[in-house]
Amino acid sequence: MKIAVCFKIIADYDRLSGKDWEWDECRFVDMSFVRRVFNCFDESALETVLKLSRQLENVSDTVELTALTVDDEQGDLFLKHLMAVGYDHAVRICCNNRLDLRFNPLVISHLISRYIKQEGQKLVVLGMQGGEGDNGQTGFLVAEQLGWPCIREVIDVVRAESPDCLKVFSRIDGAILKQTIKLPMVLIMGHSLNSPYLRVPTLRQKLNAKKKQLTIVSNIELGLDNDALLNKDKTLMDLYGQKPGKSCVFLEGKTAQEQAQRLYDQYLKERLS
Amino acid sequence: MTLTREAIVEHLKNIVGKERVITDEQVLKENSHDRYKKFETIFGVYTTPIPAAVVKLADTNQVSDVLKFLNENKINSVAKTGGTATEGGLETIVENSVVLDGSQMNQIIKIDETNMLATAQCGVNLGELEDRLREQGFTTGHSPQSKPLAHMGGLVATRSIGQFSTLYGAIEDMVIGLEAVFPNGEITRIKNVPRRSCGPDIRHVIIGNEGALCYITEVTVKIYKYFPENNEFLAWALDDMTTGFKILREVMVEGYRPSVARLYDAEDGTQHSFDQFAEDKCVLMFMAEGNEHLARATAQGIAQIVEKYDECRKIDSRLIENWFNHLNWGPEKIAEERELIRKNLHIGFTTEVSGNWDCINTIYENAIKRIREEYPHIEDLTMLGGHSSHSYQTGTNLYFVYDYDVKDCKPEEEINKYHIALNALIVEETLKAGGSMVHHHGIGKYRTPWTKQEHGSAYYILKGLKDQFDPNGIMNTGTIYPVE
Ligand SMILES: Cc1cc2nc3c(=O)[nH]c(=O)nc-3n(C[C@H](O)[C@H](O)[C@H](O)COP(=O)(O)OP(=O)(O)OC[C@H]3O[C@@H](n4cnc5c(N)ncnc54)[C@H](O)[C@@H]3O)c2cc1C
Repeated sequence: MKIAVCFKIIADYDRLSGKDWEWDECRFVDMSFVRRVFNCFDESALETVLKLSRQLENVSDTVELTALTVDDEQGDLFLKHLMAVGYDHAVRICCNNRLDLRFNPLVISHLISRYIKQEGQKLVVLGMQGGEGDNGQTGFLVAEQLGWPCIREVIDVVRAESPDCLKVFSRIDGAILKQTIKLPMVLIMGHSLNSPYLRVPTLRQKLNAKKKQLTIVSNIELGLDNDALLNKDKTLMDLYGQKPGKSCVFLEGKTAQEQAQRLYDQYLKERLS
Repeated sequence: MTLTREAIVEHLKNIVGKERVITDEQVLKENSHDRYKKFETIFGVYTTPIPAAVVKLADTNQVSDVLKFLNENKINSVAKTGGTATEGGLETIVENSVVLDGSQMNQIIKIDETNMLATAQCGVNLGELEDRLREQGFTTGHSPQSKPLAHMGGLVATRSIGQFSTLYGAIEDMVIGLEAVFPNGEITRIKNVPRRSCGPDIRHVIIGNEGALCYITEVTVKIYKYFPENNEFLAWALDDMTTGFKILREVMVEGYRPSVARLYDAEDGTQHSFDQFAEDKCVLMFMAEGNEHLARATAQGIAQIVEKYDECRKIDSRLIENWFNHLNWGPEKIAEERELIRKNLHIGFTTEVSGNWDCINTIYENAIKRIREEYPHIEDLTMLGGHSSHSYQTGTNLYFVYDYDVKDCKPEEEINKYHIALNALIVEETLKAGGSMVHHHGIGKYRTPWTKQEHGSAYYILKGLKDQFDPNGIMNTGTIYPVE
C-alpha cells in the first residue's frame, strides 16, 4: 500500500518571546534565529503511520511510505531524518521562495493533491493545523480535490481485518469514534495520545539515510505555474499582537469556607456538572 | 540490637514530630531512586530497598538530633534536597535507610551587599536565590542546567558546576562559609572570610561530600554584580574537535575568561538542532560577560584568536543566544522527557569527565571509538557524542552524551544492559588516558568501582575522612566509597 504523510516545519514558537514578534513591511516575522521543528500534529501523523506500516508489513503487502513537505532547502534535513526512521521516499515540493504561502492552504492542497494523483497513494495523512498560518483547512481541501472521504481529529489508525480497509479512531464531541473505513482516504491527525513524538533514528539508520536521495519537485512540474500560486481571493491586510486579556476578581467572604463556597457556586459548579 | 522498621519510624516521630515523618508507600518508593534509574522509575519498577521513612527536616537542631539517633543505632541515612541527583547518590541501597529531606529548610538568611555574600539554608532552590539576587542587581554566577530544580545543599554536596563556570568558577570557588552537621550530631560552622592561612581549607571536607560525611545545613556564597546587558555571544562552525580543543586552550591560556566556552561535536550538536545551521560540523561558542569593558575586550580577543583558523565559519550569534536561553531544565522539561521515554522507549544519559589539554582529545576519541567497536548493543544507540562545556587554564571537561532505544529488556534490566556498560567504557578510557572520571555530577553509587583508581595513593586521605567522621558508616552507604 502506498501512504503519504504531509508535514510542515515551523519555528519553535516556545522559543520566541513576546518582543520577537515584530514583522517587516511584508508582514514576515524574523524567526531565522530560532530552531525549526516538526509541526506537532504532523509529528504525530508521521509516527502513527510508521507504526501502522509495521502492522501492515507483518500481515500483507509491501508498504511504501512517502513523507512530503512544501518547503525550501531548510526542509531537507527533516526529510533526511524521515528517511532514516523508515520513510521510503522523502519529497520536497519547492516553490518560488518569495511567495507568501502562509495563509494559502488552497495552493498547498493543490500541490499535495496533484502529487498524490501522480504517485497513486491510497492513504494521505496530515496534521490538523500548522502552527504558522493556523489555517486548519489543508486536509479538507486535499480530500475534496482527491474526492476521497476525510476524517478529522484522528488520534490513531490501525490495520483492519480486510486489507482494503483501516480502523480509524477519532475524537468527536468529547467521545472517541472507531470506524472501519475503506481506502482511499484522507486522515487529519489531531492530538495523538499514543504517538506524540516521532522516533529517533539509530546511528546506523542515520548513516544509511545519508546515501539516499531526496526527491525535489517544483510547482511547475506539478502543472501549477507561479501565477497559480498567488493568493487571489485573500489579501493579508494587517497583523497585530493580541493582548492577553486577564482580569481578576476578589472573592468576598468572611471565612475561607465562605470564599470557597462562592468560588464553587459562581465559577466551578457549572463547569463541573 | 538493630531496630525494626516500625521502631525507627516511631523514634523519628518522637524526635521531629509525626507530621515530618513520611511513610506513604509511593513517596518511599520514589525516594529510593534518583535519575540514574529514571527508566525504572517511569515504569513504576522499584528494585532498590525502600527506605523506612522520609524525614522532612525543619532546622539544624533537628538534623543534629536525627543524625545522632541514626548514628547510635547504625541506621543508614541518605541526605536529599532538590532530588536532581543523576549518579545514584539518592539510592537507598541499605534496608531501612532514612531519607533526610532538607527541602523545607528553605530560608534565604541574608544578602550582604557590602561583603558581597548570600547565605541560604540547604533547601533553598538556586533559581529562587538567583531571582532574589537579580532583583537587586546581583548574581551568584552559578547556573547549572538544573537551576530551577536543585537546592543549595545538594549543589554544594555534589561539587556542582554551572554554565558560566569559565568566568565564575564552580561551586567550590563560590562557597565562602558553611554550616554542617556530622553523624554524631556535632554542628560545625565555618566562618565567612575572604581567605585565610589557618591550616588546610576545611571547607573541602564538606563541599563534594555527597552526604557521605556530613549533612550541609547552610551555605554562604559570593555574589557578583549582574550585567546581562553586556552579554555577547560568539559562535563558529568547524570541522573537528581537535581544532576546537586547540582553540579553547588558546583562549584560556591567553587569559580570556568568557563565562561560556563550549565545543560540541556534530552528533551532540544535532540533538540541539545545530545541524540546522552547521550540518556535520562541530560548533564552538562563547559568551563574554561582565562590565562593559571586560565583556567587549573578551569578545574581541576571542574573535581574534578563532579567526586565525581558516576552517572556522562564523555563525549568527542570535541562534546560539536563543538556544542558550532555553537550556535550563524545569519541571515541564522533566515531564516532557518522562512522556517521551514512556511512549518511545527512548532514553538518554551522560557521563562527564575531565582531562588536561594534552589528553582531552585522546579521551574523546578513544571513548567514542571503544563504544563503537566494543559495545554489544551499538545497534540500539541513536546518539553518541559529546561536548566540552567547562574550560580551565590546564584543561577542560568532556560531557559524553548517549541516547538509545531500550529494546528487548525489562525496565529493571535497562541500567545493566545500557547505562552501566556505556558509563564504564567512558570511565575506563578516561582513567587510562590520565583524566578524571567525574567532572561535576559526583561519584554517586555507580562510579565507586573506580574511586580507588581515580585517587591512587591519595585514596589514603579520602578513606581517612570517612574513618574519622563516619566511623559507623551511616552516611549514604555506597556513595563515593565502594561497599567493601
Ligand atoms: C536536568 C538536569 C540538569 C543538570 N545540570 C547540571 C549542571 O549543569 N551542573 C551540575 O553540576 N549538575 C547538574 N545536574 C546534576 C544535579 O542537578 C546536581 O548534582 C545538583 O547539585 C544536585 O542538587 P540537588 O539539590 O538536586 O541534590 P540532591 O539530588 O537532593 O542530592 C544530590 C547528592 O547530594 C547529597 N545531598 C543532598 N543534600 C545534601 C545535604 N544537605 N548535605 C549533604 N549531602 C546532601 C545527596 O545525598 C546526593 O548524593 C543536573 C541534573 C539534572 C536532572
